[in-house]
Amino acid sequence: MSRWISILWLAFLFSIPLWMIDLYVLHILINTGIFVIAAMSLNLLLGYTGQLSLGHVAFFGIGAYVSALVSLGFDLELTDTYTFVFDAKPVWIAFLSGIIAAGLFGWLIGRVAFKVRGAYFVIVTISFAEVVRLVSLNWIDLTEGPMALNNIQPFTLGIPNLWEMTLYQKIPNYYLVLVVAIVCYILIRRLVHSRIGRAMIGLRENEPLATSVGVNVTHYLVIATVISAAMAGAAGGLYTHYFRIIDPDIFLFIYTVTMVIMVVSGGKGTLAGPIVGGIIFGLLPEILREFAAPEMQWIIYGIAMILIVFFLPDGIVPALKNWWKNHRSKRTDSAEMDAGT
Amino acid sequence: MAEFLQHILNAIVLGGTYALLGIGLTLIFGIMKVVNFTHGELYSFGAYMIFMFSAMLGLNFFLAIILSMVLGVLLGGIIEFALLRPLRGANIDTTMLVMIGAWIVMQNLEQLSWGGVAKSINHPFPLDPLVIGEVSVSWIRVFVFFFAVILIIGSYYLINNTKLGKSMRATFQDRDIAALMGVNINRVYTATFALGSGLAATAGALLGPVFVVTPTMGDMAALKAFAIVILGGLGSIAGATIGGFILALAEEMGAGYISSGYRDAMGFILIILVLIFRPTGLFALKERYG
Amino acid sequence: MKTVKSDMSEVLLNVENIAISFGGLVAISDLSFNVHKGEIVSLIGPNGAGKTTAFNIITGFLKPNSGSITYRDKSLTGLAAHQVAKYGVVRTFQKTSVFDGNTVIENIMMGLHLNGRCKVWEVLLGLPRVSIENTRLEERALEILDLVGLSNRASDMASDLAYGELRLLEVAIALAAEPALLLLDEPASGMNPSETASFMKTVSKIRDEGTTILLVEHDMRMVMGISDRVVVLNQGEIIASGTPKEIQNNPKVIHAYLGYGDEDA
Repeated sequence: MSRWISILWLAFLFSIPLWMIDLYVLHILINTGIFVIAAMSLNLLLGYTGQLSLGHVAFFGIGAYVSALVSLGFDLELTDTYTFVFDAKPVWIAFLSGIIAAGLFGWLIGRVAFKVRGAYFVIVTISFAEVVRLVSLNWIDLTEGPMALNNIQPFTLGIPNLWEMTLYQKIPNYYLVLVVAIVCYILIRRLVHSRIGRAMIGLRENEPLATSVGVNVTHYLVIATVISAAMAGAAGGLYTHYFRIIDPDIFLFIYTVTMVIMVVSGGKGTLAGPIVGGIIFGLLPEILREFAAPEMQWIIYGIAMILIVFFLPDGIVPALKNWWKNHRSKRTDSAEMDAGT
Repeated sequence: MAEFLQHILNAIVLGGTYALLGIGLTLIFGIMKVVNFTHGELYSFGAYMIFMFSAMLGLNFFLAIILSMVLGVLLGGIIEFALLRPLRGANIDTTMLVMIGAWIVMQNLEQLSWGGVAKSINHPFPLDPLVIGEVSVSWIRVFVFFFAVILIIGSYYLINNTKLGKSMRATFQDRDIAALMGVNINRVYTATFALGSGLAATAGALLGPVFVVTPTMGDMAALKAFAIVILGGLGSIAGATIGGFILALAEEMGAGYISSGYRDAMGFILIILVLIFRPTGLFALKERYG
Repeated sequence: MKTVKSDMSEVLLNVENIAISFGGLVAISDLSFNVHKGEIVSLIGPNGAGKTTAFNIITGFLKPNSGSITYRDKSLTGLAAHQVAKYGVVRTFQKTSVFDGNTVIENIMMGLHLNGRCKVWEVLLGLPRVSIENTRLEERALEILDLVGLSNRASDMASDLAYGELRLLEVAIALAAEPALLLLDEPASGMNPSETASFMKTVSKIRDEGTTILLVEHDMRMVMGISDRVVVLNQGEIIASGTPKEIQNNPKVIHAYLGYGDEDA
């Protein structure tokens, strides 16, 4: 049953550009898709492993900036006489570099931040992200600071000398984001249904019990962080080469908050949660844009988050699953009653 | 040398208000174990309140400060009662998410109400600074410093010499045992959050006339408050006080001798360094892990 | 009624001069005892004697102030809990500790962590050996559930289990980690007499399958009925060690449990 739903859903997603004439809607979908990937990556760390990492936007931004810088090339005046010159590289190399850089940074955070736990861990993660933001804002030689990096090249796909396509237009970008999202989904699903995923869930559910059966806490926390960071870096790379301009605002804490809202409202620790949450909170600004000032949108987000924590603490997807389960058992109950059992 | 002394003097003045911020948060964070994301918003609330009373309504400046303090305490109590009390017993993630939601709502309400333009607040002190030898300090800052010191001493007195303070300390040590000994935990929590918020609001009211008032001023304040709490150790008023001064000093030195752009980064860098090398903080009263 | 195993001469666990204090409070002053392969040893003593603390130290959840713990020839002192588990020393917890949000069989699968071999990159690439391993682990999980008698609850949520079943699940999770030495912390607490009797049979079965058992328990029926040896801990040190019969008649032990003086005897 659920297999059919997945297939239908995928078919629907792939079909959208064929009938959606309004390119602006496609643009929204691409933007939402990028956020969904970021939300899925956060879900791995926040939802499955249970770590309140609130610096996630740093991984996204590092992926974006590294990919941009590698594809644009840059030079750095290291001393009065020596300037380090980095030549521009093809976009796909830049994209991979962004992922690797984000993953490395994730490894670093993992090793350092997990020395403390609980609320202190939260603060360390926020601090790391803020430091990264301030560095990107102030290290103008490298990042152009608030003047932004622009004229970033779009993705170029294909096999050199045989066939190439440069993704200037929305439709191919949509498919690219969709494919990356599907790949990320599959990776997370594989992870979750393996002993690695079980170790992470064990750490979240009952850490002492997990260690008593041999789960190495630091090792798995770091693995979760690295994969989560790399995936967020991929989302950042997609962002960079689609929007083709980035500035330090990409590191703002408010984007981490958006991702957290997506994961928590959708359902942390579920595969579908970040997708549902991502779609709702990705599309919501567009719907609200007609009626409400940006501040009003954020107020609605804040209230939504409070309401969800109070009434649907596990998120929308688990609540729906429960409702479906109850609904079905009620139907069988009433069917039995009718049959006189 | 004069420049160095000036930095020290600036740091001392700033440190007083930072200490207020830190004391407020260390009480809330320490006693209630809540990652209070609204702390910064109480800070900006205090600043906007003094703007409203003093600049808009023309009330006496000192009365305006007192009013801002009182309203801050009230607002804190309301937040605790409406949002945190129903979640009593939930884990730290849940309360944190609620606090984030409240923070978003508060900041955007402020933005809607007052607009994004920075507001400046007039004060009754002479504008010519007080000059002592080679250094100078404006009179408003002198006032701010002494007011902050009075409040710091007041907080210390409250925690150590009053019945409420005793209840708060008992709850900090062990909530369950305190409850068994007859402490009304609900009341302690509401009082703690209200007082902590009141201190944050006061810090905002005091610094509002010194700098300018913007809707996002609370964000930096909140993060600095966390830095101070971590520096000074959770639950320690003395620690938060000293932490506040250390942070102010680090900022002044960093801005003066390294680069002004990284002034705000000093707080975060300090957090990270302290948590790596001395996770219990300088004056911690309890274990840091788990 | 119990057969004394002939290879009981091999010392599996050697605890020597363990001491630990919290603040100014001395929890354990001088703890020394050992456990031989194939034995069921019970660690008993009045409340607050330090038994769970001893468990915590042996399995790496706490570091002692002094003393050493040796397992076979390896030193366990100062090792992290997961490393101790890797060596084959696994403990259960005094307060019921399972993975609430998962089904019973998932709980066991999580306990089977050390049994698996797949690496992260193999999982991400979706290599066939991952699903082969999952199937193998699932089969093994069912075997373990069979051993403790929880097979019929395999797909139920852990939170739906009755109290007695939860304690069985706890033991099953620990068994999944394939301990050569299993430390059970008050496993029968809260069980009624029939549950306790059936649990005793399960523990014997576990020992017969080759696992050495160190038990902390207050239920004297169980302690006396199942142990090869009993070690008595009081006020931070061992005051007696011997067979259940010897311990029952030991005056020091009687003092420790009933207080000073024979007026109550």
